[in-house]
Amino acid sequence: MADVRDIMELDRPGTPEITRETILGTDKPKKKFTPGTKISKRPEGMHREVFALLYNDNKDVPPLFPSDTGGNGYKQTKIKLGMRRPRKWEWMAFTNPARSDNATFYHWRRPSDDAKEYPFAKFNKKVDVPTYTDVEYQQHLTSDTWTKEETDHLMDLAQQFDLRFIIIADRYDTQKFSKRSVEDLKERYYKINGILAKLNGEKKIYTYDADHERRRKEQLKKLYDRTPEQIEEEQFLISELKKIEARKKERERKTQDLQKLISQADIQNDTPRKTDKKIPKKKLSNPRPSRVDTSYILQAVETAGIKFPDYKNSGVSLRSQRMKLPANIGQKKSKAIEQSLQEMGLELNPTATEDICQHFNELRSDMVLLMEIKSALETCEYDLQSLRHQYEALAPGKTLIIPAQLTNSEQENKINTGEIIDVVGSPGTPLNT
Amino acid sequence: MSLPTDFGPDSGGRMKGVCIVKPIVYGNIARYFGKKREEDGHTHQWTVYVKPYNNEDMSAYVKKVHFKLHESYTNQNRIVVKPPYEISETGWGEFEIVIKIHFHDPNERPVTMYHILKLFPSEGTQDIGMEQGKGLVLESYDEIVFQDPTQLMHHLLTNTKQLTLGRWEHNTNFEEKKEKTLKSILDAKQKVRTEIAVCKNKLKLAKETLQQFKDEIAKSQDSQ
Repeated sequence: MADVRDIMELDRPGTPEITRETILGTDKPKKKFTPGTKISKRPEGMHREVFALLYNDNKDVPPLFPSDTGGNGYKQTKIKLGMRRPRKWEWMAFTNPARSDNATFYHWRRPSDDAKEYPFAKFNKKVDVPTYTDVEYQQHLTSDTWTKEETDHLMDLAQQFDLRFIIIADRYDTQKFSKRSVEDLKERYYKINGILAKLNGEKKIYTYDADHERRRKEQLKKLYDRTPEQIEEEQFLISELKKIEARKKERERKTQDLQKLISQADIQNDTPRKTDKKIPKKKLSNPRPSRVDTSYILQAVETAGIKFPDYKNSGVSLRSQRMKLPANIGQKKSKAIEQSLQEMGLELNPTATEDICQHFNELRSDMVLLMEIKSALETCEYDLQSLRHQYEALAPGKTLIIPAQLTNSEQENKINTGEIIDVVGSPGTPLNT
Repeated sequence: MSLPTDFGPDSGGRMKGVCIVKPIVYGNIARYFGKKREEDGHTHQWTVYVKPYNNEDMSAYVKKVHFKLHESYTNQNRIVVKPPYEISETGWGEFEIVIKIHFHDPNERPVTMYHILKLFPSEGTQDIGMEQGKGLVLESYDEIVFQDPTQLMHHLLTNTKQLTLGRWEHNTNFEEKKEKTLKSILDAKQKVRTEIAVCKNKLKLAKETLQQFKDEIAKSQDSQ
């Protein structure tokens, strides 16, 4: 408000005081407003933190707008970092020990570092290219494809270019000698190196596998030379492969359960038959020790089918409760059971006598087992088909024959089950008895 | 029976290895008024009941039977303490009735059955009782199994009197039904077993063929 008043020339005493000084204009105009002292007190209701922001040490108002005018800018024109005097730099000559020509250059340097040598000289690494005498060459280093002159030339270049074989190959004297690839050069050089190292009695000898390198480069070249169409096709094939592998994994998992199912089917076919014979003789209230014995074995092997809870606990229960499907049977499975019961024209909740209860439970357990075997069979059929395709791709013109009863299993099942049993000819199936 | 009769509420404990089965029948009969009743819109008279399958007095071991009706009925929970265990009502709709049988020995827990009250004849199938003029009947057979009963309960269960001197009959011929059901279940079981055997053999063959194919493929891969 003070600024506005200032601008509008309000709040000044109605008329400026006319004194001698003002009329004479000799004295500096007296400041009527001293905002610093006036607003130094925190206004009521203003938070202390906000007030602290507004007022710095010198108690003057921070600028609303950033300003870059020299006079009003920084309080201190000179930065004060420390009290020590700055160290000196000197423009001086130096020689680089890495150079052999003793060339002299100049740079800025602290006088205190004068004694030290040029710090970057150590990065100039020299390769020790082995040397050999004529005798050594004649004894150990002769080659069918390399003459002594060419070998000497190679060694010269190796020394000159510090084993940068790409450059060596580039600067190779192709007028005098035939053109050689980088791998050829490396092979020859490292062979010589190795032989000489051996002669000097060194234990660790490095060898260079030129063939591998050639193959590697060829491969890289091929990879680089692919057309966009080829790349696209490759991507497509990779994704297809991934899909196939996922399916294969799934099927392998299923086939693992297969053996379990088969062994279980055996047990299920054997044990209930024994109990079947006993049941008619039994009285309703008889305890059944024989069944208890087998049930442990059954439970141990049982993975498919339905495991009904054992009602051996003391107390009262309803017979019909024993026909309830256990909670671990999923909705999908129980729906499937329901459906096949209806297909066979059976009640979903039959009259609950002991016999019916037991047989009904066994029936439904068998149904689930059958469903699982069937799905396993389907997996197998699919596997057979894919294996046949694989074989056909491997050996064109030839094929594998899938046994007739394994194709179109659905249809054959319905036509005549008896015949199939004969074809398979396995002993001990319930039909034969 | 020479057993002492003064069993305490928890005397003697349970009789291990003993199992007593009491078959029962529960369900309802319903009769259509012929028209909708003016005052409340009810259309049927029905009776829901629990009775012994054999001719015996269930009150020897049953303390009470609790029928839980639809909440729209006044006094939704009906309790019957002596035979006949039944509730007669009128109504217009079908609903689930919860039937709970309590026993004299409090150590034996009550059993619960669920019955869907049936008023309207189902389409297609012939309902029992219609032709005999009894009205519509829907009843179920079940068995109460007393595994290892308490001594008191055992005593009560084995000392039941006949309920009536006359013939004891049910609306449904359960003996015939039992026989038919058992036969069809056994038939179905045989069928499923046969199919399992067939599929199992196929599975074996399939596995063998799979192995054979794999060998063939391995062979042709080797030869390449």
